[in-house]
Amino acid sequence: MGSYNLNEVLKEQEKRKRAQGGGSASQEEAMKLDDVARVKVLSPGRKVFKRFIRNRLAVFGSVTLILLFVFSFFGPLVYPYGQKQIFYKYDVQNVNYALAKRNTAFNGYLLDAQAEIERDVANAMNSNIKKMLTDGESVMMVLGEKSGYAITKLTDDVFLVSLGDMSRICSAGSGEVQIGTYDAIKKAITFSGAPVEGLAEAVGTVKGASAEVTLDGVTYSFQRGAAKSYNVFARLEGIHYYGEAMDEGFETALNQAIAAGSTSFTYGGTTYQLVAQNSTSFEVYSMSGEARDVALYTCLTLDTHEVGAAVSDELKAKALYAAALNSNGSFTADGESYTIRNQEGVWVIYNAAGEEYAEFSHYSIRRYTGADTMEYGLKQALAETIEEMNTAGQKSGTLTYNLPQQGESGEYVYDADGALMYTETEMKITQRDTGEYVVNCDQVNYIIDMFAAPSAKHILGTDGDGFDVMSRIMYGGRISLMVGFVVIFIETFLGVIMGGLAGYYGGWVDNLIMRLVDIFYCLPSMPIMIILGAMMDAMRMDTYLRLIIMMAALGIMGWAGVARLVRGQILSLREQEFMIATEATGIKVRDRIFHHLVPNVMPQLIVTATMGIGGVILTESTLSFLGLGVKHPLATWGTIINSVSSASAMAHYVFIWLPVGLLICLTVIAFNFVGDGLRDAYDPKSKR
Amino acid sequence: MAKYTAKRLLYSVIILFFVMFIIYVLMYNMPSGYVETKARELASRPGATKSYAEWLADLNAQYGMDKGVVQGYLVWRSNAVRGNWGDSWAWTVPVTEEFHNTVWFSFILGFVSFVFEIIIAIPLGITAAKNQYSFTDYFTTVVSMICISMPTFFVATVLKYVFSVKLGWFDLSGMQGRDYMYLSDFGKFLDVAKHFVLPSITIIIISIGGLMRYTRTNMLEVLNADYIRTARAKGVPEKKVINYHAFRNTLIPLVTTLGGSLPGLFSGALITETLFSIRGIGYASYTSMTQADIPFIMFYLAFISILTLLGNLISDLLYAAVDPRVRLS
Repeated sequence: MGSYNLNEVLKEQEKRKRAQGGGSASQEEAMKLDDVARVKVLSPGRKVFKRFIRNRLAVFGSVTLILLFVFSFFGPLVYPYGQKQIFYKYDVQNVNYALAKRNTAFNGYLLDAQAEIERDVANAMNSNIKKMLTDGESVMMVLGEKSGYAITKLTDDVFLVSLGDMSRICSAGSGEVQIGTYDAIKKAITFSGAPVEGLAEAVGTVKGASAEVTLDGVTYSFQRGAAKSYNVFARLEGIHYYGEAMDEGFETALNQAIAAGSTSFTYGGTTYQLVAQNSTSFEVYSMSGEARDVALYTCLTLDTHEVGAAVSDELKAKALYAAALNSNGSFTADGESYTIRNQEGVWVIYNAAGEEYAEFSHYSIRRYTGADTMEYGLKQALAETIEEMNTAGQKSGTLTYNLPQQGESGEYVYDADGALMYTETEMKITQRDTGEYVVNCDQVNYIIDMFAAPSAKHILGTDGDGFDVMSRIMYGGRISLMVGFVVIFIETFLGVIMGGLAGYYGGWVDNLIMRLVDIFYCLPSMPIMIILGAMMDAMRMDTYLRLIIMMAALGIMGWAGVARLVRGQILSLREQEFMIATEATGIKVRDRIFHHLVPNVMPQLIVTATMGIGGVILTESTLSFLGLGVKHPLATWGTIINSVSSASAMAHYVFIWLPVGLLICLTVIAFNFVGDGLRDAYDPKSKR
Repeated sequence: MAKYTAKRLLYSVIILFFVMFIIYVLMYNMPSGYVETKARELASRPGATKSYAEWLADLNAQYGMDKGVVQGYLVWRSNAVRGNWGDSWAWTVPVTEEFHNTVWFSFILGFVSFVFEIIIAIPLGITAAKNQYSFTDYFTTVVSMICISMPTFFVATVLKYVFSVKLGWFDLSGMQGRDYMYLSDFGKFLDVAKHFVLPSITIIIISIGGLMRYTRTNMLEVLNADYIRTARAKGVPEKKVINYHAFRNTLIPLVTTLGGSLPGLFSGALITETLFSIRGIGYASYTSMTQADIPFIMFYLAFISILTLLGNLISDLLYAAVDPRVRLS
């Protein structure tokens, strides 16, 4: 009869039926007794399938697995969010709104754009002004390289710097005055003023740090300055001229001025300034020609009424100049005319139309970012509050003020006319140890949406990085499932080769491989994986590379079980008749093992592999949970739980870890059910 | 029997030799920068007794890290055989001392869980097998499957959430309550016992499923055996069939596996102890592993390997002892 293929016969029958059309019962061919189609025999594969689907748990497992695969591999295609997409939200936060500072530093504003203050002088200006303030002086002379500067106090907050060709005339009173420098190598004195005849000869050779010599009743001292160079001082009583001597009238006027304690006197149409060196000694300067006022130094800040209006330095300088020196206070700057008036101790600038334009204030109040976008009224209110705090000696205070209202998304709200709307906001002012005042208030801010509770937008909420948990779970599922399959593939591949070789050849090959299996069986895999993870942590390895190494390591450590199984099976199969047949027909050894023996082990292999995937997923998630497996920002199920594993996060964010944990359980259960079902289906008599 | 045991022991020693070699190679190839960094960290700790160079020198002397792999391994092995395991880096005490400090906590935890596991799993497995395809059977099968499939950290988290956070019955982690110092000796004992409850439940849950399934499978097999049919045919009362004929035969595989897992009680539950901060050997070794504490890791891995081999040996020997039909050769 030859060999039938049952399926072929059945198919042919079907075809014939269809060809007859309609296939009414009367036309059905009578069946012969020996017709193979009489007994419906299923192919082995279909038999297994039929047995498999009869097992409800196995069906449940396979359906779950299919859903899981669809969920993690197709879900992300449909799901609107990515795994690394960070979500933001607007929320009310108590923010540092503004920073206020009482100005103590003096800023210079040039009156004349062409004018220039020498750098050394400008740099020392602040300290000079502070010195004047502490010493209570009203004028200070500063000599620069090219010209002299007079710093004049206009008010406590405003200082005028004027520049003139200033020359030092003489010193008066008793004191040491430098008259020149002595060069120890040339043995010559360079005099800054009138030379003293015979001094160089009188002193001879100067050695050591200092020397003194008396000539014509005057004591000269030599103090070493630079190497081999000495500063020569004359200890003087009375008036000593640096240049040309003046007449007696000058000396009388000078002595009168000293006696009167005044700082300047006029003689012969020239104004002379007396600058005290110490209580008994003065330096006298003359201003030759007209002194020009070049700059104003002030510690006041100009706040404009218009929010954030830019004010030129020229305007500030001219305004202060006018305020201090101009009786009617009018001035012109930037082509417009203004008036400045003092109102209750505050300098207010009015524009041409007579409206208040700006005010000078002791406080510089800015937004915390440094931007000058605050309204004038608010600045003033803050300054007043700070003043009150200072008076009361408190370090903190509060102020309620109408701040621009912010909408839900942080933008300013405008009414129908396009004007800003305001809401009352309570601000807290605190003085820092550094002296600044910080203003805190509640503001709507754009922040990362961390740990958002489940909502329509985020089905499972967001995690601590503002990632959508649902999308993380999907992408995590991809990696977890992929790790499971890859590791099992490596395990099985290695196991089949080693087990096949051992089982087929027996003898010393078997012995060697089985000892290797014993060794690998004994290797504690979890500790080794943890050590590997810690090591890769320390090396800051790329997370994808870690993933690959982890899969390889798990695969290499897991093959021993598969090898043992394959070997055992092959040992018994090897003795069966079909293997003798392969030997008799002269099939190559490799084909005998991998084409005839291994396919017979396939059912058990599939079962172990299926159950094994669950185990691998468990191991992987445990490692990731410990933070030693796959790393942020890649998601796996273990990492997601790890991100909320601290005690407080665990208590508060159940919506993150519970679904993920259940999903892990479900996946592993599904793999186990399917594996169980397959085993029963392949070999119903086997042990469960 | 004695000959077989001796042979198996010899085998085990050889396997252990190679297992430790693999582990040694792993440690040997640790990035040196990593080890050095850890040694520096250790030396800069408050109260450090050794400088960074001393720690590294110690390591080299003890573990032959400065020699070739094979020579270094032999150095380490000869030290280890003499019980000379060096000082732990993470715990700054001799490795053996840290071992003594921790292993008993692990053993108690393991033993208590083991006893409860047996008490719960074996009767349930047998009942399920007796009434195959009944509700009890399905229930047992599904529950055991769920238990097998749960990751330890998830079980621990759920237990912590329910019993510590929501009900407040237990502390989240640790081994002692905050007023431990003021308690009497018995109170201290109770306090520690209370802290062991959640970890043991965790261990029981994750390991009970396997034992339940194993019992059921073996019982089913025995119940399908010819001698049970014979006993029933002869009219032996069902109770006697189950408890006397079937159960005794089911015990054979059970005793061998359970006996084989006895040494494992000392190995500690790495994950569970870490999650609950139980100062057992698992927690100690986890901390050591994350801190590149090579001495303690080597010791722990060697210890576990010995336990595994010992477990296999015991299980094989017990098999022969329990079942007279088995002859060892």
